Amino acid sequence: MAGPKKTVTASSQSPVSAITSAGQDLVKSYVDNTPKRVKIIDTFLLFIMLSGVAQFVYCALVTNFPFNAFLAGFGSTIGQFVLTAAFRAQVNPSTRSEFTIISPERAFADFCIGSIILHFFVYNFLG
Amino acid sequence: MTILKLPTFAPSTLTNAASLIRILALAFIAGAAISSRLFAVINFESIIHEFDPWFNYRATRVLASQGFTEFWNWFDPTAWYPLGRVVGGTIYPGLMATSGVIYNILHALHLPVDIRNVCVLLAPGFSGLTAWATYMLTKELKDESAGLLAAIFIGIAPGYISRSVAGSYDNEAIAIFLLMITFYIWIRALKDGSVLYGTLAAVFYFYMVAAWGGYAFITNMIPLHAFVLLLMGRFSHRLYSAYSAWYAVGTLASMQVPFVGFQPVLTSEHMAALGVFGLLQLVAFVETIRNLLASKQFQLMLRWFLIAAGVAGGLIIVGLTVTKTIAPWTGRFYSLWDTGYAKKYIPIIASVSEHQPTAWPAFFMDLHMLIFLFPAGVVLCFKELREEHVFVIIYSVMASYFAGVMVRLMLTLTPVVCMTAAIALSSLLDTYLNVDEPANPDANGVKETATSGAETPVDGTISKKKKKGVAAAAAAAAVTPSIATKAKGRSSAENGIFGIDTRILVIGNAIFMLVMFVLHCTWVTSTAYSSPSVVLASRRPDGSQNIIDDFREAYYWLRQNTPQDSVVMSWWDYGYQIAGMADRPTLVDNNTWNNTHIATVGKAMSSPEEISYPILRKHDVDYILVIFGGLIGYSGDDVNKFLWMVRIAQGVWPDEIKESNYFTPRGEYKVDDQASEAMKNSLMYKMSYYRFNDLFSGAPAFDRVRNQQMPKEGPKLDYIEEAFTSENWIVRIYKVKKEDPLGRDLKTAHAFDGGKRRKPSKPISRRKALAA
Amino acid sequence: MQQRLLSWLAITLTVLASAWARSSAGDKVLVVSDAKLEAAEYSQFWDGLKNRGYELTFRKTSEEAPATSSFDVPSFSHIIVFAPSTKTYPADISPQSLVHLLSDPTQPTNILFVLQPSTPSSPLRDLGREFGISFPPPATPLIDYFNAVSPSNATSLLLTPPVTPHTPGFNGGDVLYSGVAHLRSNNPLLVDFLNAPPTSFSADPLEPADVIVEVAASGGEGFWAGGRMGLVTGFEVLRGGGRATWVGSLDLFRNAATAINGKPTANNAYALALASWTFQETSVLRIDSVEHRRISESSPRDQYRIKDDLIYRIHVSAYNPATGEWEPTSQIDDMQLEFTMLDPHIRTALSPVQGEKGWYETKFRAPDRHGVFKFIVDWRRKRYTALHSSTTVSVVPFRHNEYPRFLSSAWPYYLGALSTSAAFVLFCALWLLGGNEEEKKKTQ
Repeated sequence: MAGPKKTVTASSQSPVSAITSAGQDLVKSYVDNTPKRVKIIDTFLLFIMLSGVAQFVYCALVTNFPFNAFLAGFGSTIGQFVLTAAFRAQVNPSTRSEFTIISPERAFADFCIGSIILHFFVYNFLG
Repeated sequence: MTILKLPTFAPSTLTNAASLIRILALAFIAGAAISSRLFAVINFESIIHEFDPWFNYRATRVLASQGFTEFWNWFDPTAWYPLGRVVGGTIYPGLMATSGVIYNILHALHLPVDIRNVCVLLAPGFSGLTAWATYMLTKELKDESAGLLAAIFIGIAPGYISRSVAGSYDNEAIAIFLLMITFYIWIRALKDGSVLYGTLAAVFYFYMVAAWGGYAFITNMIPLHAFVLLLMGRFSHRLYSAYSAWYAVGTLASMQVPFVGFQPVLTSEHMAALGVFGLLQLVAFVETIRNLLASKQFQLMLRWFLIAAGVAGGLIIVGLTVTKTIAPWTGRFYSLWDTGYAKKYIPIIASVSEHQPTAWPAFFMDLHMLIFLFPAGVVLCFKELREEHVFVIIYSVMASYFAGVMVRLMLTLTPVVCMTAAIALSSLLDTYLNVDEPANPDANGVKETATSGAETPVDGTISKKKKKGVAAAAAAAAVTPSIATKAKGRSSAENGIFGIDTRILVIGNAIFMLVMFVLHCTWVTSTAYSSPSVVLASRRPDGSQNIIDDFREAYYWLRQNTPQDSVVMSWWDYGYQIAGMADRPTLVDNNTWNNTHIATVGKAMSSPEEISYPILRKHDVDYILVIFGGLIGYSGDDVNKFLWMVRIAQGVWPDEIKESNYFTPRGEYKVDDQASEAMKNSLMYKMSYYRFNDLFSGAPAFDRVRNQQMPKEGPKLDYIEEAFTSENWIVRIYKVKKEDPLGRDLKTAHAFDGGKRRKPSKPISRRKALAA
Repeated sequence: MQQRLLSWLAITLTVLASAWARSSAGDKVLVVSDAKLEAAEYSQFWDGLKNRGYELTFRKTSEEAPATSSFDVPSFSHIIVFAPSTKTYPADISPQSLVHLLSDPTQPTNILFVLQPSTPSSPLRDLGREFGISFPPPATPLIDYFNAVSPSNATSLLLTPPVTPHTPGFNGGDVLYSGVAHLRSNNPLLVDFLNAPPTSFSADPLEPADVIVEVAASGGEGFWAGGRMGLVTGFEVLRGGGRATWVGSLDLFRNAATAINGKPTANNAYALALASWTFQETSVLRIDSVEHRRISESSPRDQYRIKDDLIYRIHVSAYNPATGEWEPTSQIDDMQLEFTMLDPHIRTALSPVQGEKGWYETKFRAPDRHGVFKFIVDWRRKRYTALHSSTTVSVVPFRHNEYPRFLSSAWPYYLGALSTSAAFVLFCALWLLGGNEEEKKKTQ
């Protein structure tokens, strides 16, 4: 991950265009600097987030009647999301330095155990 | 230069010896913790104490005899007659499940232990585990020696013993263990940043939610910790991993308990955790983006992002609270914030003796010297200020506040006091047990102080020798400068203690205080906290012990002399005991979930007989039970609790029952001939003093609790008749008469039976005659 | 409608009863009569009772034997308190013991009170008040100038009691009455058999006008007069079925009253009819059995579930005095069942089952509240025995696995949870297979 850092002169740009250009830079920097494995994690995260948003919208718009089912489904997406995000932080080289005793393999094992326990509670609560 | 010449060993020998000594020390500590809780069992018998444990015991018996499914669906028709109680959905099943599992394991091993013994001895057993959990947690804060000190402190501190003696089969028995272990795993998760430990913390948190209503403490303590770390600028991905794993899995798990249900997402007590969770997601997201952008662009995005997020978040929270989707703080927790709230609006909460504010002597009695070391330990935490120290500081502040508000919450203060006191004492001992003398002030050679490896066996030895010991606050204060230097790092040898005489003086003082601590704890435990409260003990004039067993005598009379389905009415304090020992349906019990039902009982107790009788008949009451202490001086009787009955009834029927009617015109609470009419006619008064004059054969009766002389004419009863009075007149049971067969009201019927004649009545004209 | 069916019931019994009748409660009768009375003057009444199968034992008021009960067990099924005039009674027939005997829940003793013509003795006065019956001042018999037998003797009245199915054997006719009237309170347990004529009043027969003058001065207060006064009043005890009757005239039972001026009166029939009601021959009902169960099951439980469909059945028999047997009766058409927890949650009618005589049943759905409920049948009609039955059951909420399990409206959540798990598995596979890409990249 060695792209040259870009600098932008924040002189005479309107906020909207400043944000959009910052956004484009962000995307480009992301695509360049992130390892492929982390990108796989990110697609997984995106999928989970969409699934969670869909369930939340359904709950808000249509009915929240089997509230426990909503909580179980939504909770499963939230839980999976944060577990994966934690896993990403533990594996991503840029943040890995904070974790002194967690190796990536240990991180993966933790992630699996956590997810399995999460799914166990989800299915217990679902019905 | 060292004061003493210590023998040298190989480092591996030292570590092995140290571990062995530590394990032995922990085993002894567990043994001390368990044995100091057995006073009640040895003095009296293996019996369940107090009130709430009787209900837990009944529930566990159902679990043990009928299995988990029946227990989960158990509907108790004998509690809160005739409303019944859906026990499966209204209790925290952790305690019963734990006992059930232990019982089944023992039986699977062909050890036929009675379920009562399992219940009675569960709390001491778990106290040993609590000592171990405290050791682990304090080890993370400082080192193993502080851990051992903390373990012994919590093992015998009266603040914890009071709720975990053998026989006190209540939720706190296992809840404190779960509290400490959850906190320990949280700290480990935070330090490692491990999702595994975070999930494990969630699993223990689930166990805690299943065990105690005080789980809300953890629910708010961990988010508060995370929030303070964020404010201190100490965000890290470890914090994110640990907290997110704990929150996501833990909240979902906690909703599995039926009694908790959907509260974790709907009530204000749990919103802090959700808020911090959301905040952490945002901060983590921001941090992740930060690495990908130039700093100026990043600042720009950050600013707009924060604005948008802040506005959206604020709108959502306000909107949800206003539309009442998020329930506001419930009365129990709100009364911790506004202490006058309960007295006005929820008298039941205010009337519980455990909910009264703590008096100052209670702190000393429960914690002895630890309460002095507590602030010293907190200050020491400020010196190091790692993440776990932040946690302990927050915990100590919150626990101090809560302990000041309610006596019952001394229990949550005790662990943190033990931990911080152990840190303080351990630091003191570290300094004075260090055999190295500082270098001469003019020599600038840097003497290596002993490594922690060599320190440890010394500390381990000393702490094994005196698992009892307390340091005076003065000594601690004098030592603070040197401790401060020591805390900065042991590399500088300019600070230290000269001479062996100071060392011996301070350590001797510390040993002395520790011995006093042990003596105090043992004395307090044996005299104050080991009473089964079902059996009272007093001293006769010649010094021998006099056992007052009236309660059991009366409950067993009920059990053996009344039909199985006869309903007993009493004040709610005794409901669980009646259900447990007398095995009869009760109207109200200690669960106090239905205020109107309790108010109905209060109204029946405080109204004259004619008004109470229809209430009694409507609820099919067959027997009424009152506690009266006027003969032997037992001050916890119903006459002293009477005003609470009146207040609670007044809350529901303010027009019919007024508290002021029960006082004399001068505003005194009297039961002698100056008592007000409402007082004299109330059912409670009549039942307590009925035939009391007969005991004094001619002399005026004297109430030893109120210290008043009773009027010459005792009360008369028409609607109920006396069924049983125990030996010392503590428990009195009355039978409710059925309706009169001739359709009269019972007062005239009773008068007729006594031979009184009625006044003749004249016919009333239905027409006006013409004027003569 | 109700009246019609009830009267059908009673008429059936009447026809059978007029022949020969036995009490459902037993045959032994104790007659406690005043010392000054001659048993022979009332022999027609005694013979009538003996013909019905009763065993009479005579005793004077002042005597102590035979006692009404020994060791708290009643010795007699019925007592006739025959016009005592003394001020004190022995302990076993004191007012308190009489009330106690009458209200015994399992073996009540029925009592027939017959009063002295002009002054009921004071214990009976006090006892009457307990029943809700109050007597006029002493020595004021009932006077009626419009119904008197002869104008000079205004205290002997010729009255026509109503014919009811509950007093079988009396089919109308005139009855000679000479005695006191009384006022009834509004006690619902009182049953009126014979009321005073509207033109009657209670006064001293020597100075009848005094009373009228006094009363006129006070605006009508305290005037013992009119049709609201009772002459014969029955009483049914609240629980246990004991019956008592207060008859204000001793002359009703006298042999000499069976004919007036050569014309026969119906005194004997009426007296015996009153006795037959009091001694529980007629209008006696009982509950034989009670059943409850879920409609879908066949045996009862002590615990039902909310919203269960329940069926409740009750079997009622009536006593047939002619045969001495309890026969099932389906004539009651207004029996109700209350399903009660503190207040009735369900109140429904129990209707007779076609084809099964004596059985009444109803079907209903248990309410949505859980708790301890009682099936209560509480049927009271005047002159009939009260029927009361209370059965306690619990109603429990749904078990945790009785709720509907998989709801169709929750499919997005099921889908979401399943997709998350599937995606997790897929991701794990991808990650593990994705292998050592990073290491390869590093070494390059």
